[in-house]
Amino acid sequence: MASEGRGGSEEGMASGGAPRGDGIPMRPFGRHDQDISALGFGGHHLGDAPDEGTAIRIVQEAVDSGITFFDNCWEYHRGKTEDWMGKGLKGRRDKVFLMTKVCTHGREAMIATRMLEQSLNRLQTDHLDLWQVHGVGWDNDPDLFMRPNGAAEALLKAKKEGKVRFLGFTGHKEPAVHLKMIETGFPFDAVQMPLNAFDAHFQSFAEQVLPELSRRGIAALGMKPLSGHGEPIVNGELSAEEALRYAMSLPVATTITGIDKLEVLRQNVKIARNFKPMTTAEMQALRERTRQSAGDGRYELYKVSLRFDNPEARLAHGFPLDDQSVEVKEMMKATENTGFPFPDVKQQQQ
Amino acid sequence: MADEKGFTRRKFVQGSAAALTATIVVKPSLAERTGGGVPDNQEQVPHRPLGKTSAQVSALGVGGFHLGSIKEEKESNELVARALDAGINFFDNCWEYHDGISEARLGTALKGKRDQAFLMTKVCTHGRTKDVAMKQLEESLRRLQTDHLDLWQIHEVVYYNDPDLIFAVNGAAEALLAAKQQGKVRFIGFTGHKNPAIHLKMLSHDFPFDTVQMPLNALDGTFKSFEQQVLPEANKRGIAALGMKSLGGSGEIVSRGALTAEEGLRYAMSLPVATTISGMDSLGVLEQNLAVARGFKPLTADAMQSLRERARPLAADGRYELFKTTTKYDGKVGREQHHYPTEEKLPV
Repeated sequence: MASEGRGGSEEGMASGGAPRGDGIPMRPFGRHDQDISALGFGGHHLGDAPDEGTAIRIVQEAVDSGITFFDNCWEYHRGKTEDWMGKGLKGRRDKVFLMTKVCTHGREAMIATRMLEQSLNRLQTDHLDLWQVHGVGWDNDPDLFMRPNGAAEALLKAKKEGKVRFLGFTGHKEPAVHLKMIETGFPFDAVQMPLNAFDAHFQSFAEQVLPELSRRGIAALGMKPLSGHGEPIVNGELSAEEALRYAMSLPVATTITGIDKLEVLRQNVKIARNFKPMTTAEMQALRERTRQSAGDGRYELYKVSLRFDNPEARLAHGFPLDDQSVEVKEMMKATENTGFPFPDVKQQQQ
Repeated sequence: MADEKGFTRRKFVQGSAAALTATIVVKPSLAERTGGGVPDNQEQVPHRPLGKTSAQVSALGVGGFHLGSIKEEKESNELVARALDAGINFFDNCWEYHDGISEARLGTALKGKRDQAFLMTKVCTHGRTKDVAMKQLEESLRRLQTDHLDLWQIHEVVYYNDPDLIFAVNGAAEALLAAKQQGKVRFIGFTGHKNPAIHLKMLSHDFPFDTVQMPLNALDGTFKSFEQQVLPEANKRGIAALGMKSLGGSGEIVSRGALTAEEGLRYAMSLPVATTISGMDSLGVLEQNLAVARGFKPLTADAMQSLRERARPLAADGRYELFKTTTKYDGKVGREQHHYPTEEKLPV
C-alpha cells in the first residue's frame, strides 16, 4: 500500500508514470493508494475562457483526454471557475480527482466550513477528493492555521464527515513558510508549490521543500510551470514544452497548469502523452540557461511581490488591494449599481 | 516627465504619513515651546562614534528624500539650518531621490556650512558597472556643491543577486574603493530594506565597509529582523549601523496605533546604531524629532522589550513593513535594471 519514494527515476527525478489507456501518465498521490494524472488542470485560467459554453467544453475534453486531477479555488474569479467546472464535470465527476481550496487566510474555522459548502454547491458534488488551504505565504499563517478555532479544525472535521478525502495546503511565497506549515505536524496529504526552472535558483521550493515531502510521503503538487503568466516563454528564455517537461520531471505527483483554451489543452495533453522525463543532464543544462535571469526573481514575481496574492488574502492580512486585479475588478462590478434611472446627484445636493 | 506620477505618489504617501505623525504626537507643551523658536539653553543632539572610524555623527540624521518633498526651498534651507543648530551633523541623500532635486536642495542649504556637516549620499548602479558609479559620483558632488563626501553608499541593495553584481569584476565595489583612494569620499557603505539575508551576503564578502544602513524599528524587532540578524554582525565587525524607517516607512506604526511617534523614534535610537535617519518634510516634524533626540537617553532593555511586544501582533505578517514584503519601496532605476515591472504595472 504505502508507496513512499515511488516514482523515482534518475537521481530521484520523476518517472514517466504508468500511462492509462489514453496515454496521459498516472502517478501515485503521495503515500496513498490513489493515482492521479501527471498533468493537472489549473482552475484559475478556466475563468479566462470567453464564455460558459467554451469552459464546459474545455473541461469535458480534458476529462475525455485522460486528465484526472482538477484544481480549483473558492476565491478564483469570485466563484465563477468552480461554477463552470461543476457544470463541465456533470456526468464525469467520478472520473476525476477533484480539488479545491479554502480561503481563510488565517481566519476562523467557521469561515472555512461555510466556504466548503459553497464550493461543493458550485462544483455540484457531495465531496472533494482534496481540500487545500489556499495561499499560505505570510509568516504568521502557520500559527493562525493551527490556533484554537483556526482553519485546521475545519479541515479535520470535513474529513471526518466524509466531505473531503484528503487535506493539503498551497502557497507561492516562501519555502520557509511551507516548512513551518509542514512542521506543525498537521496530517497533510498534499502540498502545492511553484516548481519551474527558475525556482531552482531562487528561494527554491524544489531544493528546500520537495525532499521534506518525499521523506514524509506527502504528495507534491507542482504549479506555475510556466512561471505564472508565461513571461519567460514570451521573452524567449525557454519554450513552453521545455518548461512543462522540466516541471513534470521533478519528483511530483502532478503538475498543475492553467488552461483557458482548447488549443492550450490540446498542446499540454500532447506534451503529457509523449512525456519522457528529462535526464539529469538535460535538467542541468536547462537550469544553466535560466540561472542568470532567475537571480533577482524577475520571473517569479509571486515570491517577491503581491502580484499573485488574491484580495481575500490581502484583506485578511491587512495589505493594500490592487484595483487592477481580476478579482478586485469583479468584486467592484458585483457591487455596481445597475439600476435606472440614475438619481440626479446635483439636484440632491442642493 | 515619465516618472513624475510615481514620485508624486510616493511623495504623497510619505508626506501625508509625516503630517499625520505630526498631528498625532506633538504635545501642547512641545508645541508651545517650538512656537516661538528654540530656546538656546536646550540640550544638543548627542554624537556617537561612526563604527571603528574616528568620525562622530549625530544620533539623529536628516533623511534626504523628504528634503525634496518640501514645497519651498526656503523651508528646506531653514530646516537644515535649524538641524545644524541643534547639533545634527548627519545628512542623508541619494543620487536618485526626486531625480536629483533632493541633492540640489541639500547643496543649497549647506552653502557655507559644508564643514559642519557629515554628508552622505548614495549611488544607484543597481548592478551596473564601476564607470556608471563614478559618473553618478561626479553628478552628486556637483549637485551637493562639494568636492568630497563623508560617506558614499551603494543604494537599495534589495535584489537577491545584487551582492553578486556589486562584487563582480568592474562592479560598484571597485568604484567605492577608487573614490576613497582619490579622496572624493571618506567612508563607504551600503543600504537596503528588503531582507537580512541579502545584507548578510554583502557582509560575507569581507569588504572594508565603514557603514551599513537598514530598517530598524519596533516591528522589525520580531519580523524578518535586521535587528536580530544584521545589527550584531555589524557591531561585531566595527561597521557603523545606520538605522532608517523608524516608524515603518510611512508612519504605519503610529497611524495604526501601535506606538506613538516618540516611542517609535526612541526605540530605534536606543539600538546600538551610530545614527537613526528620519525623513522630515516640515519644521514641525524636525522639532518633534528634536524633542526626543536632544540629550537623548536610551530606553532600558525592559522598556524596549515591552514596545516590541506591543508591536508584535502588527509585525507578524509584515503588513506595516511593506518594504520587506512588497515592491512598494523599490525605486524606478532598480526596477529597470532588474527587469521588474514599473510601479504602474506592478502596483502594491
